[in-house]
Amino acid sequence: MDSAPSRRSLSTAPGARAAPTPFGGAPRPLHILLVGWEFPPNHTGGLGVHCFELCQELTRLGHRVTFLSPFGGPFTPVPGVTFRHPGEKSGGATPEFPPAYWAGGTPDSPFADSVDGFNTWVSGLKTTDPFDVIHVHDWFGTAGATALARRLHIPLIMTVHSTEYDRSLGHPWDHILHREELGIEAATRVIAVSRHLRQQLIDRYHAEPSKVRVVYNAVRPSDRLERIDPEKRIVLYVGRLAVMKGVDTFLRAAARVVPSFSDVQFVIAGEGPEYERLIQLAARLGIGDRVMFLGKVSEEEREILLAGSSVFVLPSVVEPFGIAALEAMAAGVPTIVSKTSGVAEMSRGTVFKVDFWDVEEFASRISELLEYPTLRATMGDQGRWAALREGWPERARETVQVYLEAMRGAGVRP
Amino acid sequence: MDRNLSIFKGIAQRSYRPALERLRRALDDFPDFRFSLSVTGTFVEQARMAAPDVIDRLRDLYRTGRVAFLGETYYHSLAFLLPPPELSEEVAMHREMLAKEFGAHAKALRMTELAYSDHLARFAEAERFRGMLAEGWEGVLHGEPPTYPYCAAPAPTVALLLRHYPLSDDVGFRFSSTGWSEYPLTADKYARWLAATPGEVIGLFMDFETLGEHHQARTGILEFLSALPGEVRRHPHLGWATVEEAMEIPPRAPLSVPYTMSWADQNRDLGAWLGNDLQRSAFEAAKKVGVLARQTGDLAILTDWRRLLTSDHFYYMYVSGHGADQGVHEYFSSYESPYDAYANYMNALTDLRRRALDRLGVPILK
Repeated sequence: MDSAPSRRSLSTAPGARAAPTPFGGAPRPLHILLVGWEFPPNHTGGLGVHCFELCQELTRLGHRVTFLSPFGGPFTPVPGVTFRHPGEKSGGATPEFPPAYWAGGTPDSPFADSVDGFNTWVSGLKTTDPFDVIHVHDWFGTAGATALARRLHIPLIMTVHSTEYDRSLGHPWDHILHREELGIEAATRVIAVSRHLRQQLIDRYHAEPSKVRVVYNAVRPSDRLERIDPEKRIVLYVGRLAVMKGVDTFLRAAARVVPSFSDVQFVIAGEGPEYERLIQLAARLGIGDRVMFLGKVSEEEREILLAGSSVFVLPSVVEPFGIAALEAMAAGVPTIVSKTSGVAEMSRGTVFKVDFWDVEEFASRISELLEYPTLRATMGDQGRWAALREGWPERARETVQVYLEAMRGAGVRP
Repeated sequence: MDRNLSIFKGIAQRSYRPALERLRRALDDFPDFRFSLSVTGTFVEQARMAAPDVIDRLRDLYRTGRVAFLGETYYHSLAFLLPPPELSEEVAMHREMLAKEFGAHAKALRMTELAYSDHLARFAEAERFRGMLAEGWEGVLHGEPPTYPYCAAPAPTVALLLRHYPLSDDVGFRFSSTGWSEYPLTADKYARWLAATPGEVIGLFMDFETLGEHHQARTGILEFLSALPGEVRRHPHLGWATVEEAMEIPPRAPLSVPYTMSWADQNRDLGAWLGNDLQRSAFEAAKKVGVLARQTGDLAILTDWRRLLTSDHFYYMYVSGHGADQGVHEYFSSYESPYDAYANYMNALTDLRRRALDRLGVPILK
């Protein structure tokens, strides 16, 4: 009926970038203490990526960063960033990265012990560095960071990447909730990774609206592979296999799509607690042969997958941001996301938005993209533009602005 | 369908009724006031279901003898881009509708979205129209003013009346814009602008929904409308004319437009409907289904296909994100994005194709 070139040129016109200001708008280089959790190469979610990119861009702007992690590394080195962890003196006494950080665990698990140990170490951090701000990410280190900020008389900034309500689908662990509330309360400024999340912090956590800012995630344009149009068309999901991700919906939609398309393959890349249940579901739906479970994939494998995919689906029940969808858009893959995802806010109408429970609608959208090549091509191109028009440099500058606000708010002269 | 009707009812309440009422009173109060109206078959069909009194009001206006109807296609369609005989059939359908509903006969022709080209002028000549409307766009005027009567170069018996877009858009777009340096626009100020415009004829054409819908009643647009004929009368060299009356003024020069021009967006071409891959692919697909629809000879299938050629469907598929015109397109679109519009359109078209093939007894492979 209509035809689109099977190989499309992939030059990405970068948007006009503002002339770089020294220190991202700060009057002098700042020394920033980041209290994090995971960090590449060992990371499972958006938090690790966000911290890594922030470290890179902050130091590029001329700032110094010290990154505190409960784990002994390895850490992907970033010039200008010092990594510190509780086992740095004793050597090797730090715990391994947990296989799944989202599974907060019961208050008496070994995982909880390592969180407590980390907080104690942070609160008593031995340092002579003149830090300007402490910036804590999610709940893990809020107790230690709050105590340290008070001891050093410097402002605390907290970035929330997701909340315990969402991770637990409404059944939060109290000890985690408490740490979130503590950080949000104590922080001079709070950063949310989407407007949707910001509203939740205000409604559920009673955060003072005037102190909550939004800084989105971004993706880094890389030497993307040329898009290929394989014989078998691929509908892709990349992400953790957790209940909140709604991968059920992906499978149920797949079951409605496959009878009309003999050449389509559904692919699930990622690992998580739902893995076995999802495999059973695929079998029960009778689409075992049409769904491929790849397990955890490397960054390179993910890029190859994206380059050959016709459709990317992020059906999350809850998704504070959804960086996987942004990566798909940046790779030129037409993307379908649930309406509640943060990434939907910044997609500028270049993705399909569907209610997370609406299997029928997900199936229709997938079918339409498989059926109409012109739709795939145009949405893919426009999606890439929307994903790449702003990047981590812009996000770092926005973050620096929040630091400066916090310093002024705490009575500290920048 | 229900949604169509509820939208129509809303607009009838906010715009059609109050504006037609005021036009009627202006005709009573000012014996020299005259104008032309452009009404599609689609409009009449929907009015019949949602607000039949609007048709009565139009008949009432026509009976004054100072209101004329324009000829056009029965559907607000892109038929002018289709191979014959589609365009002449749709124009004939419209001609029939005018005769039946209003007892009217149109002498002037306008195409959907004010499309015009040399090719369409030849069509108007063949269909025995006195003249056509077109955009008074600098790109085709070569320094001549838009306020003179022209004729079509390839068909000199076809008169051209050009839209004066700055003065038309002062009312159509800018009237309620508080950021505009001329805000607020009053009837006496506007009449002074008209009086100060050199030339012989000023073409003021705008959406009827300008009156009460695009500019809501609280902006004062309806009072502006009521006051304008009185303010115009203060300038003795100004007068009113219907489109066909204006076309009796002897033309000053022939005009050639070798491509299809419209009144939309910054470029005044067909980019708003057929500028991107989505739009072109949808239109090409629709053309192919049209061949099947004709073969069936089934009026229900042909009618649905003609509805799918309504220009708005393609307008909703406009993609820019960067340009100044995106805001205008979003205002008029009922879809969340151009991709939704395209997918929905293609689904409808695929269904229609299936129906046509069924009717023709062709086995469907898929």
